[in-house]
Amino acid sequence: MPGKIKKMIDTIIQQRSRGSSIIANTIKVKLILKGINPDVFTSQSDDNPLIIKRVEKIGRDFGVNVNRHSGGY
Amino acid sequence: MNIITAYSTQDNIENVVKDIKQQMGDFDAKMVIFFASSKFDPQNIATQMQNMFTTASVFGSTTAGEIISGKMLKNSVVAMAFNSNIIGDVKVEVIENLTDKGVEGVEIAYTAFEKYFGHSMQALDVDKYVGMVLFDGLSGAEERILDRMGDLTDVRFVGGSAGDDLKFEKTYVYANGNAYQNAAILVLLKPSINFGLIKTQSFCQLSQKLVATKVNEENRTVLEFNHKPAAKAYAEAIGTSLEEASNHFMHNPIGLMIDDEPYVRSPMQIKDEHVIFYCNVLEGAELALLEATDIIADTKQAIKDKEKEMGSISAIINFHCILRTLELEQKGLMQEYGQIFADIPTVGFSTYGEAYIGHINQTATMLVFE
Repeated sequence: MPGKIKKMIDTIIQQRSRGSSIIANTIKVKLILKGINPDVFTSQSDDNPLIIKRVEKIGRDFGVNVNRHSGGY
Repeated sequence: MNIITAYSTQDNIENVVKDIKQQMGDFDAKMVIFFASSKFDPQNIATQMQNMFTTASVFGSTTAGEIISGKMLKNSVVAMAFNSNIIGDVKVEVIENLTDKGVEGVEIAYTAFEKYFGHSMQALDVDKYVGMVLFDGLSGAEERILDRMGDLTDVRFVGGSAGDDLKFEKTYVYANGNAYQNAAILVLLKPSINFGLIKTQSFCQLSQKLVATKVNEENRTVLEFNHKPAAKAYAEAIGTSLEEASNHFMHNPIGLMIDDEPYVRSPMQIKDEHVIFYCNVLEGAELALLEATDIIADTKQAIKDKEKEMGSISAIINFHCILRTLELEQKGLMQEYGQIFADIPTVGFSTYGEAYIGHINQTATMLVFE
């Protein structure tokens, strides 16, 4: 199922920013500095298992459950 | 008066302290930040500065040049003191043994902040709290520490890496009357007034792209750009020879572009056709070749924009990259840069790297107060 990475990234940004656009922008910068550019991933992006693993780790580091989003898995 | 600055170009610490004491008078400081040339004995200056303000949180670092309202200095000590009308509360933590236990140190420091302020670092209101961070500038640990700091809080930290007047031998951070190596100082502030951050760099993006295809992240070394030896690919992007490539480093660093803004990565040297940087480049990162613009004009504009946004600026703490200072020096613009800050109480220093969310180069990051 394509688009899992985008959903995971959106979950991180949503959970951490708690509605603040300033924090959302900061989280985006942090993700890019960690090597994950949110703008690159769309709902059509392949579910690359290596990238999924990296985003899961980033989620853990951020204290966010990346699989707890509206889409569910 | 709620904020006061002082500086001294005296030769020995006793006279420096006397000089600064005279300028500060009986100011009731809650927080004092100071930056000292590496020519001064680090432990002695740390002790003397703390003794001068026994009830205040006193911290700082060694430098590669100092900045004080209107002036760019060398071989001096500069200081800025704030009273409780500006700094509602402040807590200073030291992370020691950065290279081995830095990440654990962040967690310990954050626990101390949480205990002191009574809130979890995740829950702190980013509009009410702001942080500063100072690193031993030769630790090479900045990326790891800032990464973990950013994982655990949304509070923004700005700062810089200590210098040693371009000797690249020993740099120190200061806190609570002590000088530390292989350490970082974390400061969490709850200002009583509005505050803001400035990140300014003077570069425009060129069309050439360099993708870091092979990297030794631990040594901040790019082995290959675009699947070619890194130095060769950089030289090709510039349109110059391999032999001439390093002469372009200052004018043409590379940048990780985020929303059209560069997070600058400055090349330091070429070794065996690899390029060693002043900060980490991640494998797979696409970077843009940059070209230098006008530091004076860009800095003036950045301050003007912030002043417009905030209404006024009453003080600036400026973490200013040594590479910018060297460029200003080469162009004979040191005085002109200093003059940008003539009308605003300012303290700062020339750093070996700047902190703004991550570790960056050839940038000035500033904490400003309304």
